Amino acid sequence: MVRTLSLSPKTWRSIFLNGFMVTFLLVAMLPIFLTIIISFKSHKDIIRKPPVIFPCDTPASAFDLRACRWSVEGYERVLVPKLTNSFPLIQLTGRMFRIYIPNTLLYALSTAIGVTVMAGMAGFALSRFRFGLRRALMIAVLSITGVPLLTNLLALYQLGVTLRKTPIPFNDRAYLIFVYFGFYLPLSIWIAKGFFDTIPRDLEEAAMIDGATPLGALRHVTMPAALPGLAAIFLMTFVNVWNEFLAGYLLVTKNELKPVMFGLYEFLGPNIINFQMIAASCILIALPVVIIFQVARRYFFMAMVEGAIKG
Amino acid sequence: MIKGLTIRRKQSRTDQSLPILLLLPALIVLLVVQFFPAFYTIWLSLQERFPTGWQFVGLDNYRLLVNTSLFKESIGHTIVFLVGYIVLTLSLGFVLASILNTRLRLSGFYLALLFIPWTLADILVGMVFRLLVYPDYGILSGILGNPALFPPKGLSVLTAARPAPLFGSFPFPPAPAMVYLILASSWRALPFITLLLLASLQTISQEIIESARIDGANTWGIARHITIPLIFPTLVVALFNLILTGVNSVGMVFSLTAGGPGTATFVMSYLLYNLGWERLRFGQAAALAVMMALVNWALIGGTMRVTRVDERTA
Repeated sequence: MVRTLSLSPKTWRSIFLNGFMVTFLLVAMLPIFLTIIISFKSHKDIIRKPPVIFPCDTPASAFDLRACRWSVEGYERVLVPKLTNSFPLIQLTGRMFRIYIPNTLLYALSTAIGVTVMAGMAGFALSRFRFGLRRALMIAVLSITGVPLLTNLLALYQLGVTLRKTPIPFNDRAYLIFVYFGFYLPLSIWIAKGFFDTIPRDLEEAAMIDGATPLGALRHVTMPAALPGLAAIFLMTFVNVWNEFLAGYLLVTKNELKPVMFGLYEFLGPNIINFQMIAASCILIALPVVIIFQVARRYFFMAMVEGAIKG
Repeated sequence: MIKGLTIRRKQSRTDQSLPILLLLPALIVLLVVQFFPAFYTIWLSLQERFPTGWQFVGLDNYRLLVNTSLFKESIGHTIVFLVGYIVLTLSLGFVLASILNTRLRLSGFYLALLFIPWTLADILVGMVFRLLVYPDYGILSGILGNPALFPPKGLSVLTAARPAPLFGSFPFPPAPAMVYLILASSWRALPFITLLLLASLQTISQEIIESARIDGANTWGIARHITIPLIFPTLVVALFNLILTGVNSVGMVFSLTAGGPGTATFVMSYLLYNLGWERLRFGQAAALAVMMALVNWALIGGTMRVTRVDERTA
């Protein structure tokens, strides 16, 4: 007792603040914990009325840790693994892994590569050159940064409908990727310009005085310094496309070409109680993004704060 | 690229082709995906599709849209949603950012955990929140349906009807589903707002705060007279960001409530989807898109003003 009382006000404050944060985070993480629990329930426990939180009750007691009926049924029904004779011996035959995740990987990777290259070029031009239209272009790019996809979607949808009727070859996948380019470019251009701005030109000039060619200076001096920024743009675009639903759902006609979020939405059938499947696919789909984000957190934070204050 | 680097010092009009060349791919994309649709939507809003094809109908779409009761109702729902979403997210974000700014030893860890919701797709968050309270089978609907906790009959979040409105036909108090939608949206937006405010708080030097404390200011006084005025521009950016995402986010409504029960969560963004792709009233949907775009542009213009673009584009 004497010991506790002798704690300084600063320590008390720290205990209080840490306690608040821990409590807040426990409450905030509740939906995630519950989803994990749901994903490991069996169908029998999902369709029970009234529902129980843990599938651990027995006729004798309300909660018995040894009687828990955990199951991976939800994951099994999403993945539908089948044994095969050839490598890798197991094949995931669920639509999610056969169709939607490969689609999304294609869209997210192409968009991220395209956006990084184009934003890198544009950001470099805006940062390093002074030319006539520069200011006008920058205001134009800035003013569309943050324009939401939703209000443009109607026109883009009608444009797709019209283009499909013309003899011009039209590809749903290419069109969707092109739309994603336009949607994620403005912010990326700003982030790229911001990063090039922080690289002092003296570095390039010093390299050239030392005998490097301009291209060599760009490759060996400017590019390495700009790499974290370009990596942030790549990762952010990848995650954004991975998480995008509406454009992928509305601009693509065939279900076979739709992205992963549509696969998730497809589970939301009326009158079907398949919560273990929905929860399992939510976790499988969110996991890569959460991991990418946690590993590369620093880059995301940098890019996000930059982007938000400018856009 | 090669030329530009060497000749940069002696700027001449003839060197202007290189930067334009570098910008060209991005400009073409933006022209097609961002600028063209803006004008195409305006044009669409003056047309309507008839069995015979598209016809010019002038401002009829706007007139028809504004006179529907659902349009008026959706404005009310959007306002209720925005106020709840902004007040909840901004106040919690400010409290969390202030705590994280005291540089607790575990701040980095807290921020990492706190950030998970923001990385999840809006439609996925809607699904997760829907699972929790789904009528009869949702994992929390047993607790919420308990009459002892929620008299008189327990609460079924997704199906409970909207209480009788207090002010004319304005949808307040909102249905439980709307409150829940606000909660889910704030849950996802909170990390970003916290980070934004934290980044701004970290630029305030501790010396100012210390000297104010020595002069006898209390915590509230410091917040009111020092912290809040100093981070005011960021607060405005956060506010505009919340309005912008709030007005335009449709994924969460899509998977969480689909506008229901009845029309209790029919916000404008969902009405746009509903008009365009479910009822196929493209003209009216375009009219609504034009109105929403005007709101968006005003907000973006406001943000640009606050952050003083002139200094940044220099």
